[in-house]
Amino acid sequence: MKTLMNSVSRRTLLQTGGALAATLAAPGLVRAQAPTVKIGLLQPMTGAFANDGDLAKIGAEYAIKEINDAGGIKALGGAKLELLVGDSRSNAEAGAQATEQLQADGAAIVVGGFASGIAMTGTQAAARYELPFIIDCAVSDALMTRNLKNVFRFNPSFSMAADVALKNLVLINDASGKAAKTVAIVHEDGLLGSGLAKLMQARLPELGFEVVETISHPTPARDMNNVVLRLRSLQPDLIIPSHYFNEFVLFARTLQQQRVKPKGIYALFGGAASSYKFVSEFPEAAEGVMDVNHWGDPKNPTNDKLMAAVKDAGKFYAYNTPINYSVIQVAAQALEFAKSADRGAINEALSKNEFDSGIMPYGKSKFDATGQNVNALPLNTQVQGGQIKVIYPDQFAQAKPKFPANG
Amino acid sequence: MTKNFELILALAFLALLAVLALVGLPGNILNLFIFMMIVALTAQGWNMLGGYGGLSSFGHAAFFGTGAYTTTILQTTFGINAWIGLVCGVALGALVGALIGFLSFRAGLKGSYFALITLAFAEVLRILANSWDFTGGASGMMVSLKNSFWDLQFADRRYFFLILVVFVVLGLFLTRWLERSAFGAYLIALRENDQAAQALGVDIFRIKMQAITLSAAITSLAGCLYVQNFLFIDANVAYGSWISIEALFAAIVGGAGTIAGPLIGSVLLLGLGEITKSFSGGIPGIDLVVFGIILVLCVAFAPNGVRGYVADLYRRRMNRPPSSPKIV
Repeated sequence: MKTLMNSVSRRTLLQTGGALAATLAAPGLVRAQAPTVKIGLLQPMTGAFANDGDLAKIGAEYAIKEINDAGGIKALGGAKLELLVGDSRSNAEAGAQATEQLQADGAAIVVGGFASGIAMTGTQAAARYELPFIIDCAVSDALMTRNLKNVFRFNPSFSMAADVALKNLVLINDASGKAAKTVAIVHEDGLLGSGLAKLMQARLPELGFEVVETISHPTPARDMNNVVLRLRSLQPDLIIPSHYFNEFVLFARTLQQQRVKPKGIYALFGGAASSYKFVSEFPEAAEGVMDVNHWGDPKNPTNDKLMAAVKDAGKFYAYNTPINYSVIQVAAQALEFAKSADRGAINEALSKNEFDSGIMPYGKSKFDATGQNVNALPLNTQVQGGQIKVIYPDQFAQAKPKFPANG
Repeated sequence: MTKNFELILALAFLALLAVLALVGLPGNILNLFIFMMIVALTAQGWNMLGGYGGLSSFGHAAFFGTGAYTTTILQTTFGINAWIGLVCGVALGALVGALIGFLSFRAGLKGSYFALITLAFAEVLRILANSWDFTGGASGMMVSLKNSFWDLQFADRRYFFLILVVFVVLGLFLTRWLERSAFGAYLIALRENDQAAQALGVDIFRIKMQAITLSAAITSLAGCLYVQNFLFIDANVAYGSWISIEALFAAIVGGAGTIAGPLIGSVLLLGLGEITKSFSGGIPGIDLVVFGIILVLCVAFAPNGVRGYVADLYRRRMNRPPSSPKIV
């Protein structure tokens, strides 16, 4: 008995008791901390679009950090946001599986999608759980025709962007004394390019342009020489291209090599025309190229900070970063309005309120009955002096359009 | 391991999956299981032709896509019931199979030439589907969300999974029938040596035609079911080379020319992908690297597929001679 008493000394007893008390108190301490709300980011982190996924993640992480540093979601007692990244692997059915995974991991809301096909299956998977889904930059008009109450699109649709592109093209051309009369359309044969070509063929003649040729090519394309030789013989004033990054770079470089110099190159959602990667690597080919694309408000100081963050990560800036930064800001505001992480409440908050648009030039974002942000607006950019400058609309413009670029 | 024992094991495994699904699985696991069954069915189709007939196709996407597009167009453009769409999809897929088979086998194509011609047919169909308006062009097509049995869509996806399991079970029985039938014997004979088979009086053209038609029908059924689950299809999903590769990978890794091979292969490949993904932490793509390494090891050490490797182990334990390597 004495041995036992000696071995359990008063000090040991105190230590054990203290540890026990701390353990028992731990749940209380945990409860005292602010809860976290998980936000899913569906992006292609591997596969053909991996670079876009990386850029989007930088923007989303920046926004999450900013929101958490400012005290989290105030309506939820300062709840911190936690980012869950779902890798869509640049294909549609992996997009659905990644969305299922985000749902299983407890995401309260999902943002992203990137490409229309992936956004299509991802939103469909989210619809099974009424999981709120805000699309970042997929443009297909068909996405918002499905009457899914959980799906919202932050960015402009293809037809919204095409309207802006045509309106600005007329403005630019009129200002130059109608320098462009003939147009050639060069497009990839996928969703993006074919849709654009069809629309341009229908609308350009009404606006006084003559479409001299429409040339399609597959993606990936290995050689653009034949396309460019055809353009050389046609001598169009304006070329309207629509392809993804690699094909655009190949096309612009081949134009340069073959010394084909149209008065202007005017892209809609040009894969490379709004990417600093292209501008930095092929400055001569990029100079003067105009684009209508998703683009952050250049006058917003956060835009510069995001550009620096992308540079620090060893990457080249493109629209994915500002648009995903902003879509996370919208998601955070939706949580504030909903005052809960309940899905029904978030969906209702998204459909009924107006939101600040982060650094996108959308003013107040407002989602209509189909879920489309009615105030979404693409910007007109032009590569001038190795920099991507906004040229339209005037309130965001950093420079005047230079057209004819080679005149 | 007898053939019946293999069949019973496969059935027991599917029954286990079905029970698991009924008891309750998280959505992401159920989604994975659904995709596994779709790939298993596609691989079962490939196995009929590539595994038993030795006619390795690189273009089963041609059948998968035809099934998928047929049921989608019938439902969305013509408002026809999904089940009728499914039957028509299978029929048209089989017809495309017969057509490709007729053109290739009449020209006496086999081996790499047959593989390349099937790949070319799938590519032609992909480009056509990408440019025609009635296939939705590059925008693809959507099947409207209508949760009902008659629309072959279910709010509770466990039922859809069970339907898939039933089709895979039918595929297993069909494969077992093939092994026991005279048709199967002729098919295996022409795989081993088509000239010898012909010399013995086997009408090899007819047998090959029957095999490709049957194979195409099963694969197009998988295409129809794919659409009913994902409700979206475009030319790259339907006719892209990914599904041709999934089909032959699953069958070869599992064990080509065996009853359970395609099922084993699809469960292993897709399951492995998910498992490595969950252990890969935050590094994107590392799971694909691990997955690739495992695949290389699998092919290096189990050339007859996992099913063949297990059977050889079993034989070695029983002191029986190992099976001869399959020619695929």
